[in-house]
Amino acid sequence: MRKRTLPLAVLATAALGLTACAGGGSGSGDVDASGQTLTVWIMQGTNPDSEAFFDEVGSAFKKETGATLKVEYVQWADAHDRFVTSIAGNTTPDVAETGTTWTAEFADAGALAPIGDYVEKAGLSDDLVEGLVGSGTYDGELYGMPWYAGVRSIVYRTDVFEELGLKAPTTWQEIVDAGTAIKAAKPDMIPFPVPGDAEFTAYPWVWGAGGEVSELDGKTWKSGLASDESRAGIQFWTDLATKYDLSSSGATTWKETDVLDNFVQDKVAMAIMGSWTPATIVEKNPELEGKFAAIPIPGEDGGISPSVLGGSHLSMFNTSKNKDLAFQFIEMMTTGKYAAEWAEQTGYFPGQTSLLADSTESDDPLVKPFAEQFVDGGASLPVTPKFGAVQAKKTTNAMIQAILSGAKSVDEATTDAAKEMDDIMNGK
Amino acid sequence: MSTLTPPTVTREAPASRVAGGPSPKRLRLLMRTRPWLLLTPALLILAVLLLWPLIRVVLFSLQDYGLREIVSGDTNFNGGANYLEVFSDPTLWTVVLPNTVFFAAAAVIGTVVLGTLVALLMASLGGFWRTIVGSAIMVAWAMPAVTGTYVWVWIFDADRGIVNQTLMGLGLMDEPFNWFTNQFTFYGIALLNVIHHGFPFVAITVLAGLLGVSKEMLEAAEMDGAGPFRRFFQIIFPSLRQVFSVVIILSTIWDFKVFAQIYLMPGGSGSNREVLNLGVWSYVESFGQNRYGFGSAIAVLLTLVLLGITIVYIRALMKEDEL
Repeated sequence: MRKRTLPLAVLATAALGLTACAGGGSGSGDVDASGQTLTVWIMQGTNPDSEAFFDEVGSAFKKETGATLKVEYVQWADAHDRFVTSIAGNTTPDVAETGTTWTAEFADAGALAPIGDYVEKAGLSDDLVEGLVGSGTYDGELYGMPWYAGVRSIVYRTDVFEELGLKAPTTWQEIVDAGTAIKAAKPDMIPFPVPGDAEFTAYPWVWGAGGEVSELDGKTWKSGLASDESRAGIQFWTDLATKYDLSSSGATTWKETDVLDNFVQDKVAMAIMGSWTPATIVEKNPELEGKFAAIPIPGEDGGISPSVLGGSHLSMFNTSKNKDLAFQFIEMMTTGKYAAEWAEQTGYFPGQTSLLADSTESDDPLVKPFAEQFVDGGASLPVTPKFGAVQAKKTTNAMIQAILSGAKSVDEATTDAAKEMDDIMNGK
Repeated sequence: MSTLTPPTVTREAPASRVAGGPSPKRLRLLMRTRPWLLLTPALLILAVLLLWPLIRVVLFSLQDYGLREIVSGDTNFNGGANYLEVFSDPTLWTVVLPNTVFFAAAAVIGTVVLGTLVALLMASLGGFWRTIVGSAIMVAWAMPAVTGTYVWVWIFDADRGIVNQTLMGLGLMDEPFNWFTNQFTFYGIALLNVIHHGFPFVAITVLAGLLGVSKEMLEAAEMDGAGPFRRFFQIIFPSLRQVFSVVIILSTIWDFKVFAQIYLMPGGSGSNREVLNLGVWSYVESFGQNRYGFGSAIAVLLTLVLLGITIVYIRALMKEDEL
């Protein structure tokens, strides 16, 4: 026994010695961190070519700071569990990409380090996209540095619309009209799928009809899903499937990935999809290139129905030994050259306002409408860790799916969902 | 444990040797303690690996334990509030438990019956065909649960699944039907999946037992005019009692805890509330919402229920042996 434990003990002391070295010698401003290593977690699935990108970032980072960049890729689907386990085991990375809905949760748990002072010192406070600053702020402190964001709008098949002489819809009624025409002419296509397991496709109709998901009233959260306005929006959205038959019975249990798969397979004419999907569509089915475009989600009688701004922050963990170095990396990634490059490669919008201007002035039919939605019709879900619990319980998804499958009426489903949301968000 | 301490033995052993070898009493003590001494390292490892986590789970189950407590390492006891919440949740009684219990019962019966039938078939086959059939069912067994689930999901896919296509092609159905929105068809598919994945284990285990059943006895019974049913229930089944008890207990535990096969089916991850089972429900309610204390309480209760079922089974199956 003794023989085995000895080398372990030696290793442990060696590791302690190493980290002790790594802890010392940090300056402010331009950091000289030769010999140090910065561990970073990046989510996998956003940028198809992220390894090449981070190879480049890594060598630039080494040149600038002398520190080695160690990037670990984590699948979005496993990421939350990995974060929790690493928080429990005190093995969190220095910096990690955190989904906008997670930042408040990890900050609330005390795992993240506030970065407001760094941002101010770097003179970036006024140059960050507001919606992302909102979701990165918890209890008055900034924990998540806006990195990139996307928004969902309507993606439609221009070739189908042209063939049938249809115009891109600008009101809710025009969506129904276009869908009905497509259904008659192309029975093999799903005119407008209404997925039953994709909450983000449902909120635009709630907001578009003038409803709210949940609002803070004094100290209690009050869900607006059962209001007349919200019900009207949800009624319209689910009517597309149940009344006008523009969806499919399979879509009742679809997730957003199923919508994308079916669009790629030439089965869908219009759908709510993210600004990050066009690149994937062309990559998976090159034949569709140039055959689809986007429009902002129309308001009931024109205008834009708001849609959720989703995206990622870069957050610094409390366990980081060299916080100056960590912020240097964050700044390098979220501003200037690399932020712009990342946005271009992924199809997301940068979190820096001055960079965003390039996207909004674009003429690309797959960028401009999303940028319009982003700027004029971007909305945010309640910023509280409790809303993460609502999402985990799939309150909204269950509501939509119950209506689509006929298990509940719109009134019943919205009443139940609003009650469940209030129960969870007000801590039972 | 204190009676087993080695010093007593070593200190007194030389003394007795002076008197001409160990006395029979000391020898008996040594004989009795030696197995425990030899087992000590294994028991210690088991205690560290199994007992400590088990105690931790029980401790967590008495706390309001979330991400914040994980970070700070503080305790946050809330008495039996988690247990109270489990028992007072109407979803548990109206949806979760019925789904879990009926599904587990159907799956265990289906798995064991099909597995036994396949084992009987294989036992009557020659070496060549036994290998063929054995390899074929091994494939079903070796398939990961996730892969198997997706295969069944595709077969029953509403828009392009082979089942809907066939039914519509035969004119038996006008509109495609989404099999995953209805509680019963959902669990029907889950049942196919779980039985398909679980029966090879039963078949192989029962086959191993079957090959050990005395051929002479079966021949004698046949000579005396016993039909195949009589031979199975009066000779084969009694001699395989132990095998069946193991197979049934293990299947019950597995089918009670089934998670991936349900979670990965469309609507199974919580958006269709009618199909929640114990595994998915506890995951959604606890880990999805970072309520680890609540999740631990469910885990403790599940362990107790499974322990209870196991004890009842063992007693029922072993009663005759004890008499």
